[in-house]
Amino acid sequence: MKIAGIFCLRLASLVTLLWLTAPLQILATEAELPLPVIERFETFGKEQGVPTNKVHAVLKTSDGKLWIGTWDGLCVREGEGKFRRYGPEEGLSHKLVTCMVEDPKTGDLWAGTMRGLNKVSGGKITRYFQTDSGLPNNVVYGVDIVNDNIWAATAAGVGALDLKTGAWKIYDHNNSNMHEPWCYAVKGAKDLIYIGVWGAGIVEHNPQEGTFKAYRDPDGDFHYDLVPDDGPINDITSWLAWNDGLLWQCTYFGMSRYDGKYWKTWVQDKTPLPSNFTQFAWPVNRYCWIGTDKGASVTDGTNWVNYFVGEAGAGWVEIHQSGKAMEKRPMSTALCNGFVLGIWADEKEAWLATSKGLSRGIFASGTASGKVAVVK
Amino acid sequence: MRRTPIIISLLIGLLVLAGLGWGSAAWSRAHERRWSGRLDLELVSCNHCHLKIENLPWAQPSRRHSAPAGLAVSPDNRKVYIALDERNEVVEADGVTLAITRRLEVRGGPFGLAIDAKGERLYATCRDGDRVVAIDLATFREVESLAIGAGPVAATYCDTQEGGRLVIANSVSDNISVVSLSPFKELARPQAGREPYAVAAAPDGSIAFVANRLAVPENYYSMASSELTLVDPSKGKLLLRSPFESAHLAEGIAVAPGRGWALTPLIKVRNLVPITQVANGWVMSSGLAIADAKGSIIQMPLDEAHDYFADPSGIAVDAAGKRAFIVSGGSDTVTVVDLELLARWLAGASDQAKREAIDDLSLSAEYVVARIPTGRNPRHATLSPDGKRLYVSERLEDAVLAVDTAALKPIGRIRLGDGGQTDPIRRGERVFTQAAHTFQRQFSCRSCHPDGHVDGLSYDFDGDGIGDNLLDNRSLQGVAGTSPLKWNGKNPSLQVQCGVRFARVLMRTDPIPGAELDDLAAYLNSLPPPRWARRHRQVLTPAQERGRRIFFATLTPAGEPIPRERQCHVCHRPPLYSNRLMSSVGTRGSLDPSDLFDTPHLLGVAYTAPYLHDGRAKTLEELWTTYQTNDLHGVSSYMNKHQLNDLVEFLKTL
Repeated sequence: MKIAGIFCLRLASLVTLLWLTAPLQILATEAELPLPVIERFETFGKEQGVPTNKVHAVLKTSDGKLWIGTWDGLCVREGEGKFRRYGPEEGLSHKLVTCMVEDPKTGDLWAGTMRGLNKVSGGKITRYFQTDSGLPNNVVYGVDIVNDNIWAATAAGVGALDLKTGAWKIYDHNNSNMHEPWCYAVKGAKDLIYIGVWGAGIVEHNPQEGTFKAYRDPDGDFHYDLVPDDGPINDITSWLAWNDGLLWQCTYFGMSRYDGKYWKTWVQDKTPLPSNFTQFAWPVNRYCWIGTDKGASVTDGTNWVNYFVGEAGAGWVEIHQSGKAMEKRPMSTALCNGFVLGIWADEKEAWLATSKGLSRGIFASGTASGKVAVVK
Repeated sequence: MRRTPIIISLLIGLLVLAGLGWGSAAWSRAHERRWSGRLDLELVSCNHCHLKIENLPWAQPSRRHSAPAGLAVSPDNRKVYIALDERNEVVEADGVTLAITRRLEVRGGPFGLAIDAKGERLYATCRDGDRVVAIDLATFREVESLAIGAGPVAATYCDTQEGGRLVIANSVSDNISVVSLSPFKELARPQAGREPYAVAAAPDGSIAFVANRLAVPENYYSMASSELTLVDPSKGKLLLRSPFESAHLAEGIAVAPGRGWALTPLIKVRNLVPITQVANGWVMSSGLAIADAKGSIIQMPLDEAHDYFADPSGIAVDAAGKRAFIVSGGSDTVTVVDLELLARWLAGASDQAKREAIDDLSLSAEYVVARIPTGRNPRHATLSPDGKRLYVSERLEDAVLAVDTAALKPIGRIRLGDGGQTDPIRRGERVFTQAAHTFQRQFSCRSCHPDGHVDGLSYDFDGDGIGDNLLDNRSLQGVAGTSPLKWNGKNPSLQVQCGVRFARVLMRTDPIPGAELDDLAAYLNSLPPPRWARRHRQVLTPAQERGRRIFFATLTPAGEPIPRERQCHVCHRPPLYSNRLMSSVGTRGSLDPSDLFDTPHLLGVAYTAPYLHDGRAKTLEELWTTYQTNDLHGVSSYMNKHQLNDLVEFLKTL
């Protein structure tokens, strides 16, 4: 009896111990993930001064300020968490802000809109239109800064403004190997410029040599990735991002990554990619945040953490870890909307712009957000 | 009998001469019409088209004077350093004896000076050379040089936590170079306003204040405001831009220690007020802008109700932040402002009183405690670190004035040259910069044409007094050979332009005497187009070459002929890029009396924004986008964006 009692006591202690340490075990599991895991989301909307539900772009600048580009103006988060809006009344060229980038040298913010390019510098907005500057077209989808040149992807080619000389250059189907001029994204990659062209894949431009090289979907099929990993997954490029040697391509038919030598492709039916409709990528180190129409992901190409929102507003996370079964967990607070239009993230937090508000992802403590994944 | 053959011969001769005359006139008219494509032209002189740049006055060598520009004083108060941009020299003078002790050739027009905290190195910004040089003060040798933005005119030294920095105002490229001193390299080049012209740093090196001389062109009927730009000297990040509302020509700046102020002399300009209002003192007046680190700006007047102190530029503030010394290049005066009294007035003033202060010229009596006369055209000022000596560069006197700041009396001069009294061009520059020729000394020619160039504004020059019908101010740089003058082409020469009518309409005082008028014309004719020497005969880039072909095109890319009168190069004919005729380009405004406007020359056109006769076009692009009418201003409807950009790139080379 005494032995049985001791056994029961030890068993009870073991069960209690296991029960008490269960969260730690989950954390231990996540700690093995070379990706950050969001524990909960904070939501920002009209109450915090966000002028509209539709947030197209989000960017945290080097001075710690958070900027969002919305359907109804450009906003900056000020003290006490309230957003201050800049609209056409304050000199913004158009209220719909599509993209943003910070000049790392001067701290100037460049914002593309549906009508013109804007420089927000020291509280003053300077506008550039196709009629009063060398900007190729007023519809600006993407901006980036490379070697003191501001690059703008527009509906009629990409334009590059040399910030030192004031001279513009334009590249489109007339003077490069672009199949058409409709450019959705432009991204600097050390000495190269990658241009995302709607219906024409990716154009790699070497400004020093003045050369262009096109990357097109080798299988040429519009809807299906017939041969995985053979090149860009599709010619319809909706966004491009580059960091640490990796180029990430968003399309409406899946996602691609290029390491300078090999391509890797993902589609929703065969991989953990939440949706083929991918429209934004934000790399951190060598992993990447992805915005889709059905939620957000973060992946290193092998492991995936996906965030979803149900119709009733409940959120859940799905963790796809290599060699393990997919783990699905509910979240205490959800991403404000599954249609993710823009992302900014670092190793401490993630901000997600959606078609129905702005969310801040709070990382679970102990997750290995800063680890670098090994890309195979 | 003998007379008959003579008479017949004479008659035949006269007939031949008449025939030749008629034939020549007919040929000339046909020649003009053939080349211009215009049937409305009567006889014009050959030199409307046929002239040579090398024959123009500004293309001739001219005398270089020892005109002092930027100043610096060594930390031990013993040495004064002076930049002589015209002579490509930096000189050192003894602060006690006022004698020149050392000279150094510095190529590229040294203009602005800054000295490091230990007094080991002097830095000179070279306005024409687009570089900054480091001069070792022990050996007085140039030891390092760095390419920076275009037209650097001023620099300040900043001691930051991350090391020594120079912040440099690049007046032509409209940006600011932030330079680390060890290693000597440019960290960042943030964009400023238009023509950044003066720089000062906060004592702790945390902020550099940059005063911009001109307003960036906006809507031509809106109030022009130049800009104060705040920069972080340690990294080069741009912190803040704040407008000098309805004010410009900010050519100097200084920080008042202990007060958190950056003080900028400027001109309060009221260009939208009809010019007939000069008599009421309402076109321009001098002011002092008081800015804090948050960009709040209050403008205070420096003039008196019936006496003006035109063209304020350089400023120096003592180390205690008690007094500011402001030089007025148009009135040859140093104005001494008691900052304690100024602070006292500000402390007691309402917000509205502060907003309206600049318009109340009686206020200056509250804080202006002295006016010290100087030689001609004082432009820069600096104080010795101990505050005992004020040095003022008397630019057109070829001298630096030394002032005892306790007695507020001049104590001597550093003589650099002879003042150039025998040089008509130099005498003309004296006339140009002198406010004495205007009613109550309100302004000089330079007040609207800084350095003979543009101020970027449009003025209501009509005598109708209705405050409408603006006219763009045109550059005088490169004006030689471009007559007739004015947008209506009515003035055949500079003497007429600047003569009696000008005195009646604008100066509201006696006309400039004839001899001085000739000198003034000599000076204006000596002004080359902006940065001509750097751009002239430069090899064109591929984009510029494509633009050149568009400019000289006679056919569209589709092979359609472009009507002769609408080919760019016909009206804007080289070498001046003007045929000096009146033309209609579809830009007549509702209040303009005529369709015809003078065809402006295009030499340096990239530097003369805004464009068209009323300044409605902010940029060159707008000439062929927003303000083109039925292809009347050149045929541009065939152009795509590539071609328009190429054309603009070519125009920037002229």
